[in-house]
Amino acid sequence: MPDISVALSTIASGILLGGMLALAALGLSIVLGVMRLVNLAHGDFLVVGAYAGLFFLKFTGVDPLLGLPVIALFVALLALPLYSFLLAPLAERGAEAQMMTMFAVAIILENVFVLAFSADTRSIETGYATLPLTLGPVTVPLIYVIGFAISVALILAVHWLISRTGFGRDLRASAADAQAAETIGVDVKRVQMLTFALGAACAGVGGTLIGAAFQFGPSSGAPYLLNSLAVVVLGGLGNVLGTLVGGLVLGFLQSLGGLTLGDGYRDVVGMALFLLVLAFRPAGFLARGRS
Amino acid sequence: MNQGLKSNLKAGVLLALASIALGLSAARADEIVIGASLPLSGPLAGFGSFQQWGYKRAVDEVNKAGGISIDGTKQMVKLIIRDDKTDPNASASNIETLISRDHAVALLGSCTPALVNAGALVAERAKKPMVTGCDPLEVFKSVRKWNYVWDLFFSVPELAAAQYKALAEANIQTNKKIAFWHDNGPDGQAVGGHIWPELAKDFGYQVVQNAEFPVDNSQFTSIIGEAKSKGADVVLVDAITPQAIAIRKQMAAAGYTPKVINIEKGAEPVQFAEALGKLSDGVLVGGYWDPSFPYPGAADLAKAFESETKLSSSQHIADSYTAAQVLLDAIAAAGSTDSEKINEAIAKTDKTYVVGPIKFDADHTSKLPIVAVQWQGGKPVIVWPKSAKTGELLFPVPAP
Repeated sequence: MPDISVALSTIASGILLGGMLALAALGLSIVLGVMRLVNLAHGDFLVVGAYAGLFFLKFTGVDPLLGLPVIALFVALLALPLYSFLLAPLAERGAEAQMMTMFAVAIILENVFVLAFSADTRSIETGYATLPLTLGPVTVPLIYVIGFAISVALILAVHWLISRTGFGRDLRASAADAQAAETIGVDVKRVQMLTFALGAACAGVGGTLIGAAFQFGPSSGAPYLLNSLAVVVLGGLGNVLGTLVGGLVLGFLQSLGGLTLGDGYRDVVGMALFLLVLAFRPAGFLARGRS
Repeated sequence: MNQGLKSNLKAGVLLALASIALGLSAARADEIVIGASLPLSGPLAGFGSFQQWGYKRAVDEVNKAGGISIDGTKQMVKLIIRDDKTDPNASASNIETLISRDHAVALLGSCTPALVNAGALVAERAKKPMVTGCDPLEVFKSVRKWNYVWDLFFSVPELAAAQYKALAEANIQTNKKIAFWHDNGPDGQAVGGHIWPELAKDFGYQVVQNAEFPVDNSQFTSIIGEAKSKGADVVLVDAITPQAIAIRKQMAAAGYTPKVINIEKGAEPVQFAEALGKLSDGVLVGGYWDPSFPYPGAADLAKAFESETKLSSSQHIADSYTAAQVLLDAIAAAGSTDSEKINEAIAKTDKTYVVGPIKFDADHTSKLPIVAVQWQGGKPVIVWPKSAKTGELLFPVPAP
């Protein structure tokens, strides 16, 4: 039986990490909800965000967390031509064509990372990324707390954008029935383009946080894509608040798995849960609370 | 355009493409093709880039000197390197391709047992000689009785004992509580699972934790928490570089700084220190080469690497450079591209290279000397043994 302090610290860390996992998955979720597209390059968008954070710090000397809006904009702007030139022309050919296109983009991006930045493992070096935060018997990494706070704030902001603004109304209409939305005057292509860019922006922010908290390299996208898919399925497709809940649940259960079975079994627990939810509650935990 | 013309055109285009493809892959009669599969991408790319440089340098030197005399005619050496993406299946298929399509007469190995052995088994089956480094000798020997594959690297028990000996020699004070964290790869299990715990008793340590994790694990919260709660002053880790970086960062973020941290494998490439900055200070790792070694060309090799690449050198440039030199020397000695003759010549190797004397035993292995290296200010410093020391042991590991 692990020490109580170890148990509490591990679970608290898992929940905080879950917040970051939710932000990492948010872009995948909204793109899936609106465009019905499983963006297989989503993990690589996260890696773009991590590299953007690394080089932002290197060239400006400014803390990458302060540069998050710039990084988000940068990744969103990179995503726009991908939508316009690769995805939009395939819109009539079904989701499979777009999905395979993004699979190709993922492979290309991974190779571009190797060519541009070498295959070295990197990490965004900030003072607070390696500081502990101790409250009584619980010690958690400070970067997890910072990442959690930013993630929750951003997820709530995106929820507000989708549920309270004109763009959000168009987005929800496009997600519910693109054809019907078009007949009532919604520019569905524009909505999809902006949604894709918004998803990429969220991935950019998530990637920077991951880059500061952990390590990354050109091929780091795949495991994060897998985790993000689990979060999206847990939370419900396109459900923003569900994504947050999915992330927290996954983080909690992964930490429980790590605590009871060993750190090596975290992902097994996560994936087992993913399969269970797919089998018994495919619409996610919060299926009724769809935003 | 009529149908006949169209089919002719298609056939012509296909023929042209086939000719180009054949022309690109087939070996020219006046060159000697040797091949290598390396992890140029994926988690082990940090090793592969150094090995690539070592292999290329040895071949370039031979070509600059006019090539190798084969049956009385000087021939240039062509080195073909394929990326195995840190995947053993790709390593095996690369070796297959190098032999069947690229017509390589001999081969050079990849890095780590999983990748080297996967390719080596293909070479062995095809009876093509392969010289490799980067595969700990005991793990290499445990695979099979080799006939065509030769390995120059360190001995696992010697490497595993190096840090214990370094700590004993430095006479440092700890509470003698030790924790082992190791991946579940073949060398991780051998070193962390067996050799380290067995040696702990001999050196008077009390083992308080032995944790195993998958090679690609990224979260170590519970493992770190347990070692911290048990008060281990000494932590010995066996993990590849991405995990080594994650572990060191997560240790700091958990507020856990044991007095001694040793990370085998992963702490070796310079990217470990680059990614971690000051956090790499004090981390120990076993080593088998340094430019300060008293062997011919050792210092020059590191200087050449650093001036060409503007990067800090790594010990992997030395074993890869030596492996390629051993192979090229054997081809020259054989004076032939016949596999059997090259293999016989490799067996007769008895020469001092930048890594030290190389002479293969009956198991096809040649042992490299071991040192203990510590990261200090972003630079690797040899802290053990006394005869090879380039600096003093930094103790305890500085708190972040």
